[in-house]
Amino acid sequence: MTSAAESLSASRAAVRRRDRWWRTVSPYVFISPFYITFLIFGLLPIGFSLVVSLTNWRGTARPQFIGLQNYATLLQDPGLPKALLNTVYVWIGSVPTMIFLALIFAVILNSRLVRGRNAFRTVYFLPQVTSLVITGLVFGQLFSTSFGLVNTVLVAVGGNAINWLADPRFMKAVLVMALVWRWVGNDMVIMLAGLNSIPGDIYEAAIVDGASGVQSFFFITVPLMRPVILFDFVITTIGIFGLFAEPFVLFGPGGGVKQAGLVTGTLIYQYSFQLFKFGYGAAVAWVVGVIIIFFSMLQLRLGNREAT
Amino acid sequence: MQVQEPALLRGSYTGAWAGRRRRLAGRAALFLFLALVGVLFLLPFYWMIISSIRPVADYFNLPMPIIPQRLSLENYQKLFARTLFLRGMANTAFLAIVSVITQVFCCALAGYTFAKLRFKGRDPLFIGILATMMVPAGVGMIPNYIMMSRLHWINTYWPLIVPGVANAFGIFWMRQYCLSVPDELIDAARIDGAGEFAIFWRIILPIISPALASLAIFVFLGTWNEFLGPLVYLRSSELFTVQLWLSVVSQLGEVKQPFVVMAGAVLASVPILVMFVTLQRYFVSGLTLGSIK
Repeated sequence: MTSAAESLSASRAAVRRRDRWWRTVSPYVFISPFYITFLIFGLLPIGFSLVVSLTNWRGTARPQFIGLQNYATLLQDPGLPKALLNTVYVWIGSVPTMIFLALIFAVILNSRLVRGRNAFRTVYFLPQVTSLVITGLVFGQLFSTSFGLVNTVLVAVGGNAINWLADPRFMKAVLVMALVWRWVGNDMVIMLAGLNSIPGDIYEAAIVDGASGVQSFFFITVPLMRPVILFDFVITTIGIFGLFAEPFVLFGPGGGVKQAGLVTGTLIYQYSFQLFKFGYGAAVAWVVGVIIIFFSMLQLRLGNREAT
Repeated sequence: MQVQEPALLRGSYTGAWAGRRRRLAGRAALFLFLALVGVLFLLPFYWMIISSIRPVADYFNLPMPIIPQRLSLENYQKLFARTLFLRGMANTAFLAIVSVITQVFCCALAGYTFAKLRFKGRDPLFIGILATMMVPAGVGMIPNYIMMSRLHWINTYWPLIVPGVANAFGIFWMRQYCLSVPDELIDAARIDGAGEFAIFWRIILPIISPALASLAIFVFLGTWNEFLGPLVYLRSSELFTVQLWLSVVSQLGEVKQPFVVMAGAVLASVPILVMFVTLQRYFVSGLTLGSIK
């Protein structure tokens, strides 16, 4: 009798011990899938890629350690500055326009001045859900020299057809238009959320003080929206430096005529997966990665400063 | 922002009347501006749809009519009869569903753990996850490829499914939502003898279903539109996702048939557009999470 009770309490104690053990261990088990996959497919490759970037690996033959030679070659490679410069041009063409338009749209659609605000919001956001590939394809069609809508209209009003996709002067313009079209809605939605958090009585006070709508915009909306505008700025900047699918579809991996559509993403792809210069491609990827990390850090710094 | 005009600003009757007319004119101008922009934003969609239902004969009918005189479904017929497009759609749907299930499950479990369970090293581990969001994916692309080829995963869906489990944004998103779940609920379940996983599975999951839905939509959208991964890892055309199919077909010999590609683009957009229009609020809540605290 006593022994039965003893063994019962002993087994209870065992169960309790096991429960306690599981309660300590389970959180780590629950978060482990992230860490395991990140270590294998995120962290390990990044370290490995630094090693690869110091070799002349071309995918088949045994790689040889060549030190910093890839980085030295990179300094003389016209491809990387070309791609970076193109990216900067695209940035200048698209980001300020995008942010400005997004803010204007958000302010108008946040006011009760017009009807059908929800319909407008939906229409402006719609491009954001189409895929990058389809964006590239559709803009390729719109700006096609002989079949495109844009040239058809241009010719109809008496202008000359423009070779949009093969004339270096216009190629980046097409890319910029595609980017603005696709991203404005995204920035706008973020701005709308920001505007929502500005209390309405500030505007009432401004009106009582005799401020015009334009004055309220520049002296109330813009300063109060600064953190949100910065956030939009940084995420679109990071997006521009990560460009790949649209230029790939519009101009091919080589960047098209005179490489006018070459960006860093397509450059890395071309080196690695078309020319199979794994070592050199990894070196380029590292340099581009450092640039992107720089902007991410900037975002973090700005975010922290705004939060405090 | 509706602001009532304060009484002291109202002028004489006629002045108010003129102001009213001026405001109305201003509103009409604003509306026209928005509508014009709206038309510009819809033009690419118009051109995509109209190109997909043009007869091929329009190609020899330059300048191409902006509104075709005759509509035809021949591009769609070709798309179904002569290409692997439908196969691509099915492949993408399969990939997207598998990714949604694995990522939503792993993110919800980890997010709940970070929000509600107490364990040593919780905060540094969470910050570590957030920090991984800054790592640019492109840097690891080449070694990832080499690793996948050693695993014999090239030309399979594994490289497109497995690394996605490390979804830092999803964990962050789930944690934020789980923070609002009352602790009493979890404590009560624990007193009733529920196991740690059972608490998550039976009690937490049903409560956080709106957040699960949002994340599911984002993962679905991301997988559906993903391009670089399929481009790098998939070789045989029977395995192509729909985006890869579209880009490959548009750059290969079938360029003479861009209308067929446009038909494919229309059909590939349909699932996403339907999702967007019906589930719009989930999209917006996910987007604005990062910007406003």
